[in-house]
Amino acid sequence: MKILVVDDDAIVIKSCRRILEAEGFEVTTVPSADEALEKVKYYDFNLLLMDVKMPKHDGIFLMREIKKNWPGIPIIVMSGYPTPETIGGVLKLGATQFIAKPFRPDELTKVVRQVLEKAIQKDSFPTGAGG
Amino acid sequence: MFYSTRSKLILSFLGIALLVCGVALLVGGQLLYKAVLNEATSRVSLDLNAARELYLSRIKAIRLGLHITSIGPIFRSALEKKDIQTLVNRLSVVAQQTELDFMGVVTREGKTLGRIGPNSIPKGNTPANPIANLVLQKQTTVSGTVVLNHEFLFSENPELAERARIKLLPTKKATPRSEMEKLSGMAMAAAVPIFDAGNFLGVLYGGVLLNRSEEIVDRVRDTVFQHEIYKGRSIGTATIFLEDIRISTNVLNPDGNRAIGTVASEEVTKHVLTEGKKWTDRAFVVNDWYITAYEPIEDIFGQRVGMLYVGVLEAKYADVRWKALSLFIVITVAGMVLAIGFGYIIANKMSRPVKQLIEASNQVSQGNLSPEIGPISKSEIGVLQKTFQEMLTSIQERDKRQRVESETKLLQSEKQASVGKLAGGVAHEINNPLTGIVTFTHMLLRRNDIPEEVRADLETIAQETERVRKIVKGLLDFSRQTALDREPTDVNRLVRQTVTLVENQALIKGVNLTFESGDGLPMVTLDRNQMQSVLLNIIINALDATDPGGSITVSTNIGISTSHPGQKGIEVLCTDTGCGIPPENLNRLFDPFFTTKDVGHGTGLGLSVSYGIVERHGGTIWVQSKVGKGSTFKVWLPTEEQSEGNENIGSG
Repeated sequence: MKILVVDDDAIVIKSCRRILEAEGFEVTTVPSADEALEKVKYYDFNLLLMDVKMPKHDGIFLMREIKKNWPGIPIIVMSGYPTPETIGGVLKLGATQFIAKPFRPDELTKVVRQVLEKAIQKDSFPTGAGG
Repeated sequence: MFYSTRSKLILSFLGIALLVCGVALLVGGQLLYKAVLNEATSRVSLDLNAARELYLSRIKAIRLGLHITSIGPIFRSALEKKDIQTLVNRLSVVAQQTELDFMGVVTREGKTLGRIGPNSIPKGNTPANPIANLVLQKQTTVSGTVVLNHEFLFSENPELAERARIKLLPTKKATPRSEMEKLSGMAMAAAVPIFDAGNFLGVLYGGVLLNRSEEIVDRVRDTVFQHEIYKGRSIGTATIFLEDIRISTNVLNPDGNRAIGTVASEEVTKHVLTEGKKWTDRAFVVNDWYITAYEPIEDIFGQRVGMLYVGVLEAKYADVRWKALSLFIVITVAGMVLAIGFGYIIANKMSRPVKQLIEASNQVSQGNLSPEIGPISKSEIGVLQKTFQEMLTSIQERDKRQRVESETKLLQSEKQASVGKLAGGVAHEINNPLTGIVTFTHMLLRRNDIPEEVRADLETIAQETERVRKIVKGLLDFSRQTALDREPTDVNRLVRQTVTLVENQALIKGVNLTFESGDGLPMVTLDRNQMQSVLLNIIINALDATDPGGSITVSTNIGISTSHPGQKGIEVLCTDTGCGIPPENLNRLFDPFFTTKDVGHGTGLGLSVSYGIVERHGGTIWVQSKVGKGSTFKVWLPTEEQSEGNENIGSG
């Protein structure tokens, strides 16, 4: 399972990589939305774990791009500013799940697993199979 | 303009002045005039006496003249010698000296022996001589007034007859009559008997014709009235009437001639001539009003044949009246001028403080709360001025209090907003490193190969990190004061629900928690969840502050705002018997992060968040406390929400 983590803060990237790799996921990390889009162009990912607030292009921009070009990739949005407006906003834009920072390792793995399971279920019973 | 105090006052003064002066004018003028008139009437009455004396003394003088003549030697010898020519000459001399108009001697038989005048020695019969005949009869001296007919006068002297002839002139108020001319004359005459050694020889007679005579009347005028002139006319006048016809007078016609031939008024004639009474009153004489006195003249036979009159021109006294009236009018006008002046001054004095008060009120309405009132008046207006000043003082105080309140409120809001922003930023920034700490602590804890000691330390780190997480979450809650989701709410129900939530905790702690719901509370539009968290926060704070055995009373009321005067609303009160809040903490109570609780037992954001929520409902939160006695929190909420622009404060 390949997961792309997008966050401008190195400690968050480091934490996510540590937790998810411990669970056996293949983790790729990038510090900005633009680099994330580059990665998505050339590699397939099963999941996108991304921050909202980032310099230059933010998470909202990235999410719109992903949803436009690669609508099949599930997205988990994480934020250190978990207001109802933020949560409601990202879910409306197509995020699969939201997780508030800081999270404990078990909380993150639980959310990731849930999302991935859902995605797999979707993939298992497609009417028109995709890649 | 007529409704102003000044006009009213001036009009009142004017009215009083007019009334007083008018009465004085009427009463005084009239009384004065009457007094003057009475005085004049009694004076005229005396003047008439003087005139009568003059009249009588003239008759006396005639009688005396005749008497002396009758005993004179020339007269005697001429009479004895029957020398008629000498006799006549003697008579002529005497007549000239004593100014007699007729004079003669009549024999014992009644025959005229001789007389003065052109027909001095008459031939044949002569007309009856009334006065001589009387003496012939009585053989004593007779003197007085006598009416002589035309025949007698003509026989004596045709000139006399001509002088006696008086043409009647029409006059107003006169008795109407048919005759046009008066031929008979009236005379002052005397006749003395002539005796010689006891033998009655005859009669010496003589007299003055009064018709057209100026002698008596002018003497009265010149001696009694001293020829006083008023506006070119003599004030005093005298007249001798034959019957009611003026035969001798110095009353003038309008043309300036003596009013001979004019007739007395009917009223006077009737009173004096017919009834024989004296008349003293105003009377219309010829053409003017006079103050007059009349009395009848009796002739030698005791018959009323004429009247004696004196009169004073009324115009002089009328003038006195007019002078008095003018004086009164001048006084009245002066009084009115004074009234207007005084009224003006007093009204000004009275209205100046009132005007100043009006001006002050205007200034107050324009926002100037310390206008000039002017010196405090000693009258009732002074009370008004003082009251006005007190009112101003209390308005100023209220204004100051409100300003302080709103400044405090503004400061609190600003504090809230800036702290909210700060908290949001801090939370976001802290959460990232916190993620690292949480992650790696837990990753370490997952390992089985760490010693128990290390594990315990890691556990501590994990716990404290959890605490940090909660603090940051509180910060976020504070910063994230979300928009209100309002709906009409029964406040009593909301409060009861909230109280129920805490009841168990209170029970466990041994605190008596009661709710007293107020009656007749209107529905209030509010965010139930947020308002509940406010109430919960306050009640839990109270519970924390109250020791076992204490009590907490929550109650609801209809309340009027203290900071928004007149605005209706409801209030929720929470009174505890807890430890109270020290005064130095009261002001900081709603500041973010302010807490008196032990470390780890509160973020210090609860009341601050509550403040924000209540404020966004347009309400106020307020606390009163006494150390050791307890505290009362009051949440006031408006029932009619005004549009508030700060609902989204601190969110986003």
